[in-house]
Amino acid sequence: MSDTEACVRVRGVHKSFRRGSEVVEVLNDLTLSVPEGEFVGLMGPSGSGKTTLLNLIAGLDRPTEGEVWVRDHCISSMNESQLAGWRTRGIGFVFQFYHLLPVLTAYRNVELPLLLLPLSPAQRREQILNVLDLVGLSDRLHHRPGQLSGGQQQRVGIARAIVTDPDLIVADEPTGDLDAKSAEEILNLLGELQRTLQKTIVMVTHDPRAAARADRVVHLEKGQLVDEPTPVAVK
Amino acid sequence: MNLLRLVLDNLFRNPLRTIFTSLATMVMVLVVTVVFSILSFLSTATTEKAQNLKGIVTERWQIPSQMPWAYANGLAEGGPHRPGDQRVDPQDAMTWSFYGGSTDPDPKKRSINTILFAFALEPRDLTEMMDGLDDLQGEQKKQFDEVVAKLEQTKTGLIVGKERLANIGKKVGDKVKVYSFNYRGIDLEFDIVGEFPEGRYDPSAAMRADYLQSAMDAWSRENAGKPHAMAGKSLNLVWLRLKDRPRFDQVADQILTNPSYSSPAVKFETASSGIATFLEAYRDLIWGMQWLLAPAILFTLSLVISNSISISVRERRMEFAVLKVLGYRPWQILFLVLTEAILVGVLSGTVSAGGTYLMVNHMLGGLKFPIAFFGTFYIAAAAWWWGAAIGGGTALAGSIGPAWAARTVRVADIFAKTA
Repeated sequence: MSDTEACVRVRGVHKSFRRGSEVVEVLNDLTLSVPEGEFVGLMGPSGSGKTTLLNLIAGLDRPTEGEVWVRDHCISSMNESQLAGWRTRGIGFVFQFYHLLPVLTAYRNVELPLLLLPLSPAQRREQILNVLDLVGLSDRLHHRPGQLSGGQQQRVGIARAIVTDPDLIVADEPTGDLDAKSAEEILNLLGELQRTLQKTIVMVTHDPRAAARADRVVHLEKGQLVDEPTPVAVK
Repeated sequence: MNLLRLVLDNLFRNPLRTIFTSLATMVMVLVVTVVFSILSFLSTATTEKAQNLKGIVTERWQIPSQMPWAYANGLAEGGPHRPGDQRVDPQDAMTWSFYGGSTDPDPKKRSINTILFAFALEPRDLTEMMDGLDDLQGEQKKQFDEVVAKLEQTKTGLIVGKERLANIGKKVGDKVKVYSFNYRGIDLEFDIVGEFPEGRYDPSAAMRADYLQSAMDAWSRENAGKPHAMAGKSLNLVWLRLKDRPRFDQVADQILTNPSYSSPAVKFETASSGIATFLEAYRDLIWGMQWLLAPAILFTLSLVISNSISISVRERRMEFAVLKVLGYRPWQILFLVLTEAILVGVLSGTVSAGGTYLMVNHMLGGLKFPIAFFGTFYIAAAAWWWGAAIGGGTALAGSIGPAWAARTVRVADIFAKTA
């Protein structure tokens, strides 16, 4: 796979944190490529660096050394303001605990990223209704998170993640807080996004059933990839 | 506009906290508004004017000022005594004598409900020279002109303020006898011919100067020609209105160099200087209000708001991190938190100060807070924007710290704890 076909390119990345006088190395010379349209699962024991890697790919943190590219953007060299601007359109983040704003309805939660874009209210409305229809929540527009089930809240979270049509969807244990049935629905939805909208998805998970939905599973241990398999062709 | 919608949504996420913060703001803005109104009025009264100055002639070496009545006519003209000296027009001059007493002849029974204090003056001076009465408008002016006309027709007439009338249990049309304590033996019967317009002169009264003078002459006749003890002391103040500072200085020179006014000697100063001198006794109180009370309240208000916003920011750290993930920039997070606080501050401050203005000025008839001879204060019209400024300013001061903390929320640190 050439670099030009890759959506995500992580090159020689190191990430360390200072804990008092101690320096903790979390990621150690990590290199990873994710082709366009691939659904990649990241697995590993606690403390292996999965979430750290996810945060680097999502532009929420910067590596100590190395580069992170998402499409044509070298996000590891952007400043905070540039990263914020890139995140609006470049990435959709799905959280384990949904993290919807409790004072806003489903509609208003999905609208949040669109408020940063130069769109008219009519254009925003059209996009919001489209994505909520896609996730099957057209009849829950005006419900607040407290009035939705866990699965429904996660679907609102996914709608919020895709409403700006980002290049990449990053999901941090999206089924971690759900029962089996709801988890199944969410994984089906993510698969649907990959197939119909050709979204590239990077998902951190502890759940083997979730990992089984991915085209490829990458294992991390002590900050390094363990036997990165060759990427398979996108289904 | 988009961010403002988010601000409004967040204001009502915890209605109780917003309401309590708002109420605290309102109470403190009310107190500061009252303090500022009093200080503003005193400042205006003690600020030198450049035109239409009012000057006061008083006895130089004694308080209270007591000058002979013989000084009255000359001083009212500006004390001219040399060729070329200027004369002050009658409508620009006013003489005052103070007559005080009780409606009860028994000194042991004197109380707020029996005491009456009157300015003895020319009736026309009420509408030509008295502060607050010389600029009446419309119906109020018409009504008071009629009251003054009645005083001109009735030598024994008395105009009384509403509050004083209520205290002594009288009404317009009644007679009242006053047993004087500063003009002993000169007890006068009055016909109450009218009231002062509501406001500054509520606790006061006005009588004709010639009634007092002729009563003193009558006393002298009844006492074998002996002059009354107050005979050489019945003129307390002379007011002169002068066009500008050069004219003031000229008249001052006329008066101070006139040998007729040397025993007792007199002084001539602007009204604002005279008031400032009188307020010397209240200097510490005024200083305390201006530099201790008001700043303490403003500081406390900032702390209250800071506390409320800090709690809100701490509760919403995860939300701010999510907003950053969605692409919201640090300045937008800062804007959200600051705007929430400032909106509450400005609205609460405006409602409080505006409400205080309406309540004090239009329902309570002024603020009863005796400082020197100022009995009643009113809330300045500027209170409407003071309230907004105080509320908004203290909200900004109190919320800048928590807002900065919200702005600098590190997303990676927040989510490192969750997975």
